[in-house]
Amino acid sequence: MNIREKILIVEDEKSISHFISTILNSNGYETIQARTGAEAMSMLSSHCPDLVILDLGLPDMDGLEVLNSLRSWSSLPVVVVSARSHEHDKVGALDLGADDYLTKPFGTAELLARVRTAIRHTRTTSDNDEIAQRGTYTVGDLTIDYNKHQVLVRGENVHLTLSEFRIVALLGKYAGKVLTYDYIIKELWGPRAGGDNQILRVNMANIRRKIEKNPAEPEYLFTEVGVGYRLAEGE
Amino acid sequence: MQSSKHRSPFFSFSARDFAVTAGILACAIELCVILSIADSIDGFAYPIFVLAVLLVSRLTTGYFFGILAALFSVIGINYIFTYPYWAFNFTLSGYPLTFLTMLCVSLITCTMTTKLKQQERIRAESEKEKMRANLLRSVSHDIRTPLTSIVGVTSTLLETPNLPIAEQRQLLEDARDEAQWLIRVVENLLSITRIGDARAQITKQPEVVEEILGEVVQKFRKRFPDVSIRVAAPSDLLFVPMDAILIEQVLSNLLENAVIHGETTTNILLSVHQEGKYACFSVQDNGKGIPPKELPTLFDGSMKRNETPAGDGKRNMGLGLSVCMAIVRAHSGTMEAKNMGAGAEFSFLLPLSEEELK
Repeated sequence: MNIREKILIVEDEKSISHFISTILNSNGYETIQARTGAEAMSMLSSHCPDLVILDLGLPDMDGLEVLNSLRSWSSLPVVVVSARSHEHDKVGALDLGADDYLTKPFGTAELLARVRTAIRHTRTTSDNDEIAQRGTYTVGDLTIDYNKHQVLVRGENVHLTLSEFRIVALLGKYAGKVLTYDYIIKELWGPRAGGDNQILRVNMANIRRKIEKNPAEPEYLFTEVGVGYRLAEGE
Repeated sequence: MQSSKHRSPFFSFSARDFAVTAGILACAIELCVILSIADSIDGFAYPIFVLAVLLVSRLTTGYFFGILAALFSVIGINYIFTYPYWAFNFTLSGYPLTFLTMLCVSLITCTMTTKLKQQERIRAESEKEKMRANLLRSVSHDIRTPLTSIVGVTSTLLETPNLPIAEQRQLLEDARDEAQWLIRVVENLLSITRIGDARAQITKQPEVVEEILGEVVQKFRKRFPDVSIRVAAPSDLLFVPMDAILIEQVLSNLLENAVIHGETTTNILLSVHQEGKYACFSVQDNGKGIPPKELPTLFDGSMKRNETPAGDGKRNMGLGLSVCMAIVRAHSGTMEAKNMGAGAEFSFLLPLSEEELK
């Protein structure tokens, strides 16, 4: 049996912490629990967990502070779990470096999927495993060829423009993860690109028309309204 | 937010009120000057300024400008229009009476105006209060049933340890379904807090409609995997100004209603098309349709559970639909429901550009 991943659950509600821990244990993860921000900080350095599940409403400090200070020294994956459901809360946490954001209430299947995705992304240095080895990323009928700068659907090259390819390539690199509008814009057009996401929206709409059968029923490119975009993750 | 708008009635100061006051007093002075040139008798200044004070008190908010106008008038009349002209003479007989008259006119008019405005506000507020009370009643009702079931299921499981596994499972599934129902009620309530009060503007941003439809359908399929749903969006890129989260809520509610209240629904068509200066969103199902006598009162949330015959175990769609209506209204849109040949259609229009809103 291989080494079990250790997950730190930072959550002050006993019942929630308990059920998260139970479901993770039964799926082969080891868990440790912290109830306060301060406790979480000390456990982070003493236990070296592989992933953190972080609630934002902690009794002693805001979870975002924990995230912020963690990000100053570590790129450990963090899945934020919060009752705050407004888009700007999500965008705020993601831009601070959270790997994912789950709004309470959430299902166990969803939690496990997000945890799996977040852990997979740290296994290899920072990039997608498949891309590192083969230079391609495949999900369903969609293949992104990073060497040839091509995107293939059912083996056919869909002719993307340069910025369209760069968007798809970026989403592919972090497949399964939501990338915020701001993040994509900064990665593509530099840190001084304006905050207007209209150009990105138009680009995305064009990509959808080239890749998806029905742009209103996407199979690959998903929108998280008000937050950003996510590319489907292969099994 | 409410409190910031709610200023003290005595010292509310606005540029508009100041301009009104200055304008009316200037007119009064002008009129007196013209009259004094045309006719050299004294005395017309008083009635004109009393009228001016009355107008100022009526047209401005609070007491401040009315009293200011009264003071100004008394001093002005004394200075300009009574002998000695262009000089003060506070020893004039009847002077205190003039002053008192002006002050009384001003105070009485201000009080009446303020009261009138207060009453209007109270009426608007009580209407909103009534709506809120209706909503609360319907929500509490909606919440009680699933809670009863959840508490019942969990205590049953705790107290009867040797229940067959299959039965335990059935009970737990029921509890989960009920909890999920509660989640949706709470989501609707959250939407209402997002709309805020009637005067507050929602924040609209141009959104690509297919992105909204895509997300809604994805969530719908997770919840109702057995119902087939088709989506039709315009092939051209269509931006519609909206609060995306709220519109998603509207569409989710309509889709959910199509399944739950359509009862026999197996097919749903979710479509958007452009209709002149509007985007038309529509949800069509092949269920059993809307009972004709419920059609007229469908959106006002007044439908009571006990009025629907026999269906009392079923949740009313009052909350979901009134939330839809409130959201569409907040977008300056319109909404309608009708029965089709087979099933029902709910559709709503959203204006395509901000200018249409005015």
